[in-house]
Amino acid sequence: MKGPAQETPGIGLRSFRAKFVLVVGGAVLFDLLVTGGLALWNVQRLSRDAATEVGQGLEQANQDYIRSYAESTAARVNLLLSQVHSDVGTLAGVLQAQIDRPVRKSQIGEAMARGVPGTVNVVYNEKGGWAQNLPGPLSVVSVWGYLLDASHNPLPEVQTEIENSAVLDLVAPSLLANGQPKLQMYYIGPKERPIFRTAPYTDQAQTFDELYPGHNSENFWTFFFPGLYESWEQWAKDPQSRPVPKDITQTAPYTDAITGRLIVSFFEPLWSRDRRRVAGVAGADITLDQLAEIVENVRVADSGFGFLAMSDGNVVAINTTGEKVMGLRAANETGSQGVTGLDRSLRRSTQSAIANLPLDSDGLLQHLLLDQNGEAVPYLVLVKQLQPTNLWVSGPVRRETMQLGIVVPEREIYASLFAAQAGITEATNRILVYQILALLVSLLFVITAVFAISKRITSGISALAEAAKRIQAKDYSVRVEIPTRDEVGEAGAAFNRMAEQISYHTENLEQLVEDRTREIEDANLQISALNEKLRSENLRLGAELAVARRIQMMVLPKAGELEEIKDLEIAAYMRPADEVGGDYYDVLKDGSRLKIGIGDVTGHGLESGVLMLMVQSVTRALQEAGEMDPAQFLNRVNRAIYKNITRTSTNKHLSLAFLDYEGGRLTLSGQHEELIVIRDLGNVERIDTLDLGLPIGLEPDISPFVATREIPFGRGDMIILHTDGVTEAEDRNGELFGMERLCESARRRYGRNAEEVKIGIIEDLMAHIGAQKIHDDITLVVMRHR
Amino acid sequence: MGGDHMEIKEEEYRVWSEGKNVYFDGTMRLPSAEAYAPIFALVLSILESEPERLTVDLTGLQFLNSSGINLLAKLTIEARKRPNVQFTVRGSSEYPWQTKSLPNLKKLHPGVDLRLT
Repeated sequence: MKGPAQETPGIGLRSFRAKFVLVVGGAVLFDLLVTGGLALWNVQRLSRDAATEVGQGLEQANQDYIRSYAESTAARVNLLLSQVHSDVGTLAGVLQAQIDRPVRKSQIGEAMARGVPGTVNVVYNEKGGWAQNLPGPLSVVSVWGYLLDASHNPLPEVQTEIENSAVLDLVAPSLLANGQPKLQMYYIGPKERPIFRTAPYTDQAQTFDELYPGHNSENFWTFFFPGLYESWEQWAKDPQSRPVPKDITQTAPYTDAITGRLIVSFFEPLWSRDRRRVAGVAGADITLDQLAEIVENVRVADSGFGFLAMSDGNVVAINTTGEKVMGLRAANETGSQGVTGLDRSLRRSTQSAIANLPLDSDGLLQHLLLDQNGEAVPYLVLVKQLQPTNLWVSGPVRRETMQLGIVVPEREIYASLFAAQAGITEATNRILVYQILALLVSLLFVITAVFAISKRITSGISALAEAAKRIQAKDYSVRVEIPTRDEVGEAGAAFNRMAEQISYHTENLEQLVEDRTREIEDANLQISALNEKLRSENLRLGAELAVARRIQMMVLPKAGELEEIKDLEIAAYMRPADEVGGDYYDVLKDGSRLKIGIGDVTGHGLESGVLMLMVQSVTRALQEAGEMDPAQFLNRVNRAIYKNITRTSTNKHLSLAFLDYEGGRLTLSGQHEELIVIRDLGNVERIDTLDLGLPIGLEPDISPFVATREIPFGRGDMIILHTDGVTEAEDRNGELFGMERLCESARRRYGRNAEEVKIGIIEDLMAHIGAQKIHDDITLVVMRHR
Repeated sequence: MGGDHMEIKEEEYRVWSEGKNVYFDGTMRLPSAEAYAPIFALVLSILESEPERLTVDLTGLQFLNSSGINLLAKLTIEARKRPNVQFTVRGSSEYPWQTKSLPNLKKLHPGVDLRLT
C-alpha cells in the first residue's frame, strides 16, 4: 500500500506538525527577537548614555585636574620668584638704609674695614687690569680698571663705596643660607663707580675676563646691561613709568659668567637719599634650574610635561622629553650685546601647532595635534600666566609675563576616560554576546521542546488522518490508539466508535437491507390483505346499499304507470340524503280508484329504507285486499308497521298521509306535511293534516286520531305533496326554504303541466340550497287535474 | 347521572337539566335515534325518579329533525306510563317544526301540559 499520496506522517512541509512547529516556533522566535532586541537596544543605549555621562564627568575632572595642576605649578613658580624677590628686597633694604643714613653707613663701613680688612682691601691684578680683594672674606669685591687711580688703587670715593658695601658680608650669607637657594647675592655700585661685590667669594673678575673680554674697559652697566640703568634713572624721575609698579627687575636667562650656568638675575635698584638718582643695585642670581626644576618636575599622566616661556615665546625651562615633543630648537647664538641669553622660542618650533600657539589666553585648554614620528597625536595644552614682572633683556626694561605651560597627551589624560568607555563597551559587548547566546539557547531549547511536544500533540492527529485515509481505502478494520486525554484523544475514541459502526454497517449492510426488505414486504403483504379486506367490505356494504337503493327505487311508480292515469297528471321527484332514503311516495291504481301515499320515515339510511319498503308492501297489500275506508286503511297500516317496528326493535316511526281519488272526489287522511292546493293563479290553499292522524309506528292503535277530509279538486287544479326535506332545506345563511317559497314557486307555475311544475320547483329549491349540505331526503309530488 | 344538574353540549346545540326542568337549545340534526340515545337517557333518568313534575323546555330549540321528534314522542309515551308525573312541554310557535309536531305529543299523552307560546 505504498503510493505517492501516502506520505509518512512526519515532517512534510504541509503536515500539521510542520505548521504547528512553524507557528509556535515563529511565535516564540518573534517574542524572543522582540524582547531580545529590546534588551539589546536598551543595553546599547544604557552603555552609550553611561559612556557619555562618564566621559563628560571624566573629561571635566581631567580638565579640572590639568587646570588646577597648572595653577598650583604656577603658584609654586610665583612663590619661588616671590621668595627671591623677598631676599633681594631684604638685601636692598639693608643697603638702602646705608644710603639713607650716611653717617651710620660710614661707621659700619669703617667697622667692617677694621674688623674684616680682607673685604675692603683690593689688590690690583696686573693681567686683568682691575683690582679685587683676596680670597678669604665672605664676599668678593671687584673694582674695574676705570675706577683705579694711576697707582692702581681705587679712587677715594670708590674706596668709600667698597667699605660701605662691606655691609653685604653681614647680610648676604644669611640670606643665601636661608630661603630659596640662590647662586649669589651682590651689590653693584652706581654708574659712576660700578664696583661689583658678590657673596659668596668667587674669582669673578677672572671669569668675566674669560667670558666677556673687553668688559674692563667699558662701564659695567653699559657693557653688561645696556639700557637697564637708563630705565631705572627714568623710573627715578617718574615712578609711574615702571612697566610693573615694582622696582625689582628681572633678566632673561643668560649664561652666568662665574658659574657658567644659565641663570636669572633679580635686581633691586637703590636710590639716592633724594630718590632722584640711582645709587646702586642689590641683586641675586638663581640658576634657571630652580625654575626649571619646578616645571620639569611636572608629571601629568605618563608623559605630560611642563614648560616655562617668556612672553615672546622663548622657552626658558622644559625637560628634554618636552623639548623634543614640542619640537623646540635651541639657537645658542651669542647676543650682540650684554649677557649671553638663551633662544629657544616656541615660534620656531618644528610643530606648526606649537609655533602658532596663542600665549595670551590665560588658563585656556587647547587641543593640539602634534606630529610624532609622522603620526598626529592629540595633546592638551594649558598655558597659565605667571605674575607680571619688570624684565630686562636688552634695551629698556619692559613688562614681562612669563607663561607656564602644561602639555599632556590626550590619550594619557583621558586614559581613564578611555578605559572607562572601553570598560563600558566591553561590558556592553559582553552583555550583547550573553544576550544573543541566551536568545539562541532559549530558541534552541524552545524549538527542541516544540518539536518534541509537537510530535506528541500532532501524532494523534496524524494517526487520525492516516486512519481516515485507510477507511477511505475501505479498510474498516483500522483503529487509532491515542493515549492522550485531550480533545484529540476524545476524537480518537469517537473515530474508533465511528469506524466500528462503519465496519459493522458496511459488513452487515446486505443483511440489514435484506432484513428490512423482508420486514417491509411482510408489512406490505399485511397492508395489501387489509386493503383487500377493506375493499371487499366496502364493496359488500356498497353493494348492500346499492341493492337497497335499487329496491327502493324499483318499488317507486314507473313513469308509464303514471301516464296511464286518465284524469290526473302526476310528476314525482325523490332524492335521498343518503344512498338509501327514508321518504315514501306511491301511486296505487285499482280500477278507477287511485291511492296516492306520501310519508317520511324518521332518519334515513338502510333501516329507514327498509321501513319505507315495508310501508309500501303493506299499503299495496291492503289496497289489493280491497280496503276502501281510508281511516281503517291507515289504522291497519299502523298496526302492521307498529308490530314490525316492535319486532325489529327499530327506534323509528313515520308520518304518512294518503289521498284517495275516485270519480272526481279526493279524500285526504293521515298526518303529514301540509298539502298545497292551487286552483288558479291567485288561489293557493294550504291544508293542515295534523288532525287527520298520528305518526305511524308510535302507538299500536291510532284509530282515535285518524280522520278524513274531502278536498274539492276540479279541472286544472293542482296539488303539491312534499316531505320536510323540501321546506327545511337551508341556504347558506341557515334560512329554510319554507312553505311560503314552496307555495309561491308552485303558484307561479300554475297552468303548466305537472312535470314542468315539478322541475321548476326543484330548480328553485336547488337554487336556494346552493352549495349547502342536503340534510334530509327530498320528495316532491305534483298532481294536476287534466 | 341523576344529579341535579346534567348537561350535553355540542357545537350546535345544548341540552341540560336544572332540577325538574330540561332545556333544549340550538339546532339538532343528529343522524339517528341512536345518536339521540344520551339525551333520551338524560330525560328518562329524571322521569324514572318519579318526580312530581317534569318540564321539557323547547323554547330555545330552533330545529329538530325527525329522529329528534321520534325521541320526543317516545319520551311522551314514557311519561304517559307515569300518570303521577306532571309532564309539561314548553314550546314556541315561532319555529314551524314545533307547531307541526308538538300537538302530536298531546295526542300520545293527553295528560301532557303543552304550552306553545
